[in-house]
Amino acid sequence: MALRATPVPDNAPNKITVKELDFFYGDFHALTDITVDIKEKAVTAFIGPSGCGKSTFLRCFNRMNDLIPGARAEGLVSLDGQDIFETGVDPVDLRRRIGMIFQQPNPFPMSIYDNVAFGPRLQGVSKKAELDEIVQHSLERANLWKEVKDILGRGGLTLSGGQQQRLCIARVLAVEPEVMLMDEPCSAIDPTSVQKIEDLMAELKDRITIIIVTHNMQQAARVSDFTAFFLQEVAGDPAILVEYDRTSNLFTSPKDRRTEDYITGRFG
Amino acid sequence: MREAFRQELKDLKAEVVSIGKVVTDRTRDAVTSLVTGDVDLAETVVAGDEEIDRRTLAVEEHSLEVIATQFPVARDLRLLHSLTYIALHLERMADLAVNIARAAKRTAGRRGPQTLYDLIQAQGNLVYRVLDATCEALETRDVELARKLQDLDEPIDHLYKQFFRELARLHDEEDIEWASSMVLASRYLERIADNAVDIGERIAYLVTGEFEALHSPDEETA
Ligand SMILES: Nc1ncnc2c1ncn2[C@@H]1O[C@H](COP(=O)(O)OP(=O)(O)O)[C@@H](O)[C@H]1O
Ligand SMILES: [Mg+2]
Repeated sequence: MALRATPVPDNAPNKITVKELDFFYGDFHALTDITVDIKEKAVTAFIGPSGCGKSTFLRCFNRMNDLIPGARAEGLVSLDGQDIFETGVDPVDLRRRIGMIFQQPNPFPMSIYDNVAFGPRLQGVSKKAELDEIVQHSLERANLWKEVKDILGRGGLTLSGGQQQRLCIARVLAVEPEVMLMDEPCSAIDPTSVQKIEDLMAELKDRITIIIVTHNMQQAARVSDFTAFFLQEVAGDPAILVEYDRTSNLFTSPKDRRTEDYITGRFG
Repeated sequence: MREAFRQELKDLKAEVVSIGKVVTDRTRDAVTSLVTGDVDLAETVVAGDEEIDRRTLAVEEHSLEVIATQFPVARDLRLLHSLTYIALHLERMADLAVNIARAAKRTAGRRGPQTLYDLIQAQGNLVYRVLDATCEALETRDVELARKLQDLDEPIDHLYKQFFRELARLHDEEDIEWASSMVLASRYLERIADNAVDIGERIAYLVTGEFEALHSPDEETA
């Protein structure tokens, strides 16, 4: 992969703004006092030990946590300056604007073509030529087109794990999201697909904002412009955001001793 | 695994400190050989350069290997990168000590005015002090000491300038080739100390993670 060409400028606009966010699963206080600005058209990585609330935080952005009984957030999360917890916000529309990729690829049990065409069809695109174009373009952006262009009618679930993950990325891209959330997208797939996904992230960020949770620190260092380090210092206490900085700074000169200890493997 | 890595970093740092001490000794020997006209001593300084070259290259190769296989970050990365940088500087400083030893060989058997011998010995003494402090700052990660190198370096520059004033007082009958060898030696000493100041900046960086310029290249003298 080419090294990141030009750094994201300091004055790049914020796509998502989080202020003093606390998150609870019933009585369990999972996150506290998180304040962070996510830059537009950049890749931001969340790192930290398992169980420190990275996925929880990620799911706040598209209100996926709404689906969990007893879960509640306090504080502000805004997308392009608009509070996403406001009652007027339609979570379905929000999830189109903010797509999500999970650790386990989850293609629908339908053809490759139909997987990618699924979202656009829901949005009312019905002309074959138009759908064909969206499907091809999305698969190209997901670095999968060359591998599947002759087997578009085949079931998505017949693909390898790494291909399935890229199919899921194509499915998200087909509805032109503004933000893509990726929760350990490379944990369960082969190295070649990992490489392809890292490459496509670098290409996609011209147009979209990407947030990736990864337990692989080298991956965070390779793919991201900004990195946020989360930590639950004491078992049972809520996790905090310890440090957030440009990736190049955080991996060379972290400011907080806890970050330093974690990324250099001196933890515990 | 991580323990072995940590040990490697420690060993590598100890090696660079040890090279630093050898360079200090070589510098001392070079100045002594110049002031006393000891050709044998000068010869050992020249011959010893190969060892420094070999050891500094080994440091560079070893840190590259560790970077490639262990993916060091943060303080570990800063340490490895800085050790390579410091080793390279030490290698150059050793070359300068060799140049002084060569001047010693050229001038052996000829005597010039005692004031210039005294001056070069005084400058040498100040340089050893900088070199000892440099090794200590690296060994103990002492940022304050690393920052002080700049101040320790200043009188060395002054002595180099004084060398020129003394030289201007020389009379025609004085051995000009001898005198110019002495000026060069003084210049080499001054360069050795400048390299040490650069190393000091690097030590501050590896400890704090901030690049700070302690030292702006002084305006060309001569
Ligand atoms: N649905 C849930 N209900 C209750 N607790 C949860 C739920 N999901 C996660 N948690 C808890 O919240 C904390 C953070 O989890 P998570 O966000 O998955 O961490 P990470 O992604 O950093 O591994 C953990 O203690 C986890 O057990
Ligand atoms: Mg998780």
